Amino acid sequence: MASNKKKLSLGREGSLGVILVFCVAVTGFINPRFVTGDGTRDLLSATAIVALLAIGIAPVMIMRHIDLSIASTVGLSGWVVADFCAKNPSFTWVHCFIIGGIVGIAIGVLNGLLVAGLRLPSLVVTLGTLYIVRGAVYVISNSVDYNAQEMPPSLLKLGGTAYFGLLPFPFLLALILMVVVAWVMKYTKAGRDCYAIGSNPPAADLVGLKVFRRTFIAYIYCGFIAGIAGVFYLMRFAQIDSTAFYGQELAVVAAAVIGGIGLLGGAGTAVGVVIGALLVQTIQGALAALGVDAFWKAAINGALLIVAIYADRVLARRSEKALLAQRIKERV
Amino acid sequence: MANKGDLLLEMKDVKKRFGGAIALRGTTLSVRAGEIHALLGENGAGKSTMLKILAGVHEHDGGEITLGGTQFIAGSPQASIDQGIAVIYQEPSLFLDLSLAENVFIGRQPKKGIAIDWKEAQSQAAKLFKELGVELDPKRQARGLSIADQQVVEIAKALSMNANIILMDEPTAALSASEVERLMTVMRSLRAANKAVIFVSHRLDEVFAISDHITVMRDGATVSEKPISKTDLQTVIKEMVGRELTELFPKTEHKIGEVVLEVSDLTNPAYFRNVSFNVRKGEIVALAGLVGSGRSEIARSIFGIDSYDSGAVKINNKPLKKNSPIAAMAEKIALVPEDRRQQGLFMVAGVNRNISMESFSRLTGRFFINFKKERALTEEWRENLSIKYADQSDPVDRLSGGNQQKTVLAKWLATDPDLLIVDEPTRGIDVGTKSEVHRLIDKAAGEGKAVLMISSELPEVLGMADRIIVMREGRQVTELSRKEATQENVIAAATTGKKGI
Repeated sequence: MASNKKKLSLGREGSLGVILVFCVAVTGFINPRFVTGDGTRDLLSATAIVALLAIGIAPVMIMRHIDLSIASTVGLSGWVVADFCAKNPSFTWVHCFIIGGIVGIAIGVLNGLLVAGLRLPSLVVTLGTLYIVRGAVYVISNSVDYNAQEMPPSLLKLGGTAYFGLLPFPFLLALILMVVVAWVMKYTKAGRDCYAIGSNPPAADLVGLKVFRRTFIAYIYCGFIAGIAGVFYLMRFAQIDSTAFYGQELAVVAAAVIGGIGLLGGAGTAVGVVIGALLVQTIQGALAALGVDAFWKAAINGALLIVAIYADRVLARRSEKALLAQRIKERV
Repeated sequence: MANKGDLLLEMKDVKKRFGGAIALRGTTLSVRAGEIHALLGENGAGKSTMLKILAGVHEHDGGEITLGGTQFIAGSPQASIDQGIAVIYQEPSLFLDLSLAENVFIGRQPKKGIAIDWKEAQSQAAKLFKELGVELDPKRQARGLSIADQQVVEIAKALSMNANIILMDEPTAALSASEVERLMTVMRSLRAANKAVIFVSHRLDEVFAISDHITVMRDGATVSEKPISKTDLQTVIKEMVGRELTELFPKTEHKIGEVVLEVSDLTNPAYFRNVSFNVRKGEIVALAGLVGSGRSEIARSIFGIDSYDSGAVKINNKPLKKNSPIAAMAEKIALVPEDRRQQGLFMVAGVNRNISMESFSRLTGRFFINFKKERALTEEWRENLSIKYADQSDPVDRLSGGNQQKTVLAKWLATDPDLLIVDEPTRGIDVGTKSEVHRLIDKAAGEGKAVLMISSELPEVLGMADRIIVMREGRQVTELSRKEATQENVIAAATTGKKGI
């Protein structure tokens, strides 16, 4: 019994962690460059945006909703921030985060009103805002691109900063957010309500949970994080055009699902999604380090997703069988 | 804390309408502390509406509701909880992904500083479970709990909220006999703690076993409100249906012909072992026993939904292919499953589509479904079974439970089966419709169909069956003829496994 419980609480994060370490070890053995400081820093730097977005979308998905507009929001936020900076050379990284955050919150409020306020299906609503927001980027950008010279030097410097020679600033920020979100989701009523709402939406109404408020705030938070991710995008790539981050929303959803967020809500943790994002990126990096053709990247990502879902199903069946066996035993 | 006998809840002339439909036309109800109060009535009498008003799901349009003298604040589940009202729904509304402790304290988690104190939540939940006399691990996930245990968690939740008034909507509908007994113990202890327990049930024997007061509703109004000592079963039934039900089980004698279904040594170790019996033309054979004794699983194996490990099923003297509902249907077997909502109907599809579902082959022209024929078929079965709906294409989830059950029956009777298997044919439907369903089953037997009936209701089994096979924990205990069978010897066989008394 005791070991069972441990399995349940450690399950996803633990086993993903083991797989992650295994991948790193094998790749490092074959190609030692992969595990050097430079290699690790590259990897973490590449993971930061998806990890951040996955932490952002986690509460929304835990509530059995989805936000497909995040990648468009990244594009909009990144472009708007770059535009402001180009026109105001005195702006620093602080301005960037504030502007990015505001853009994200605006999109989040829109999504939140439609999903929580009008109770429209989130899949359709955010599919709509995905196109609306991306369309807005096309219109306002008017095909103007921005490059490093138009961006605040302080922002680019921050993007290049790595602590202990290993931990890039964006990834560190994602880690801090992960700890905060993990705590909120476990130790506050707001966090627990998210799990309850996703686990059984009608029952959440019946026990008097504040479904509207929680859903609305989750979308605003998710939008805010997507806005911040737009600034991350500038830090990493030091250029932006209207197609930036196009179509990447599903990569974030995939990382979240691999990290243990159930598509039917009610399950998953912030720690899990970060490990999920890391695992996806590590396998990508490992394939490159092992000299596998880059064309395989997308296909392998997809296979990983299916394996993760399959593993979930196998585990669920196993525990179902165990329960059945237990009942038969009780009867005899 | 209330004293015994204090008036906790009073509803006076409460009215509620939904659009044009009147759900409550003037209900009264008064419930006192330390009382178990049964709320009875046919489906559609307005019991659920009343519970939902008290739960804060609906708001009443007229009349007065007071709680211990103060005005009831309606229209919000949270407000109802705050006013000491807890509702336990027929289908427990737990959060299956969360732990039991969390389910008990959801929305009201104990805190230490700004963080939830999980240790405290767990120890308080453990204490509540202990008070209720059950051993449940508060850290366990709610997923996989039996319905009975889920109800216990709901009751623990009600206790933790310090609820004075506990409403239970058909709490025993899905419980086995021993679980019902445990629930009754819990209900008695709630009564002893001077709570008011209001419960809705269709099982009248239980109502008389436990309640102190009975309120009967009909057509949205209260018909009678009496202490248990001043009423009896016959009176209550009469009050519920508004007429004298002379024949609850209109069983008629039929000519019994050759064997249609022959089951020999059927075994699926997880559920049943060495089951052998047969059913003849024109005969109603009942599988009696407790919930979980393997009866439904036998039906599912005969029909081919589940497989079995050994043994054989013959239909009209031909071996029937294992694990193939298509083969079973080709041999004219029909199965009316126990859960009509999940297994018997397409809830969002129309009545016509549901009824014609298994008869498409007879309704097609050369290539396409002939909707004229579908309409005619639906109309034919509406008349046969007097199903009530506004329009043929109404989705079945808009029908009452009784009419839904008739729709499932119609679907299968329309296939003109040789063998009709009915699993809990009258679960959760009211007395009036019940007797109609019984009449239909009897009629099917009269037409020469073989009927295998599974039922947890003893009066139904004794009233309808020509032969009764009693199951206990997956084994066939005994077979009784209509003449031999009595309430006592069936219960004895089902609960102790002994053939005699």
